[in-house]
Amino acid sequence: MHREIRDHIEDVLAGSRPDTLQHTREHLAECGECRGEVRDMQEQTALLQALRAPEDFSADLRPGFYARVMERIEAEGPISIWNLFIESAFGRRIAMASLALALLIGVYVVTAERSAEDSIIALQAPLGASPQTVVAGEDAPAREISQVDQLQTDQSSEDAVLANLVTYREQ
Amino acid sequence: MDASITTLPFPAVVGEGTRARTRVDHKTSDEAALVRRVQARDEMAFREVVERYQSKVFSIIFGILRNRNDAEDIAQQVFAKVYFSIKNFDFRSSLLTWIYKITVNECYDYLRKKRVRKLVYESDFSQEDAQRMEASEPAVDGSVPADTRLAQRDLILKLLSKVSEEERSLILLKEVEGHSVEELAGMTGLNENTIKVKLFRTRQKLLRAAGRLTRVR
Repeated sequence: MHREIRDHIEDVLAGSRPDTLQHTREHLAECGECRGEVRDMQEQTALLQALRAPEDFSADLRPGFYARVMERIEAEGPISIWNLFIESAFGRRIAMASLALALLIGVYVVTAERSAEDSIIALQAPLGASPQTVVAGEDAPAREISQVDQLQTDQSSEDAVLANLVTYREQ
Repeated sequence: MDASITTLPFPAVVGEGTRARTRVDHKTSDEAALVRRVQARDEMAFREVVERYQSKVFSIIFGILRNRNDAEDIAQQVFAKVYFSIKNFDFRSSLLTWIYKITVNECYDYLRKKRVRKLVYESDFSQEDAQRMEASEPAVDGSVPADTRLAQRDLILKLLSKVSEEERSLILLKEVEGHSVEELAGMTGLNENTIKVKLFRTRQKLLRAAGRLTRVR
């Protein structure tokens, strides 16, 4: 749309200000593009004006309108901050997102604690202990430790016997 | 409407013969005093607001929906909303402009909820209503039959749903309520050039939306 029409479009559509209209009329006679756009806007304006209440429409409401408004206000009550979360779509989305976030944090915390416990158990277990041993509890490693001690004791006894034999031969 | 609408330039902000008026001070009027009383929960003041604007609100709703019973129900809802939200009224516009916006939004909420915007009329309109409308409609063209008029109304309501709340209120105040650009400037607290630019943008958006709609169809 050319500026000649654009700047005065409200006057053109309202059909007011004859001086302006004379100028714009001349332009519209020459310019098909502007003519088409003005025609579209005029059609649109006519459609909008069809939303006017009819002239003979009686806007008289049934008696007691104010009382009915007050009843509705009392029924609805004051707007609570919680209503925003419950009633509006945006609030519901925030509530769902918060719930999902809380669930994620919960899962993360539980998983993190479990892996921390596993690490501690693994550190406490003796070298070479099988995973089954670690999981089975504390009795099994204790048994293994006592077996090692027993082997060490047997080795010392054997050494003692050998030492006695050597001493006997020297004598 | 032409489907091949491209982006159109805006009107010049300072054009020939335009007057950029100073803002109307909505904080010092009698109406402002009334609003302050309502904000302080003065029931007499609220009653005055209801009585002052109930007919206006009712006719706006009826103009859009053409259903008397629903219009009254929505009018009640509008004033309930006014009661609960008036503390947020910031005096930048007139009270009527603010109530008008609430009213139009409530009509659109109603249409959305029913999900029969296309033919809210078909389901709710009795034969008698249709005949009455046929007789009383301020027709675009008197020779246009009622069903075509209903389809046209449906189309324009659909198109209006494609623009912002502010744009919708402004174009309706201009074309349905018949306010001039000068009056709109006074009511909204904006200057005349801004009003013209906003109206032009809205008209462009409506034309583009109509173009898209006809292409889809």
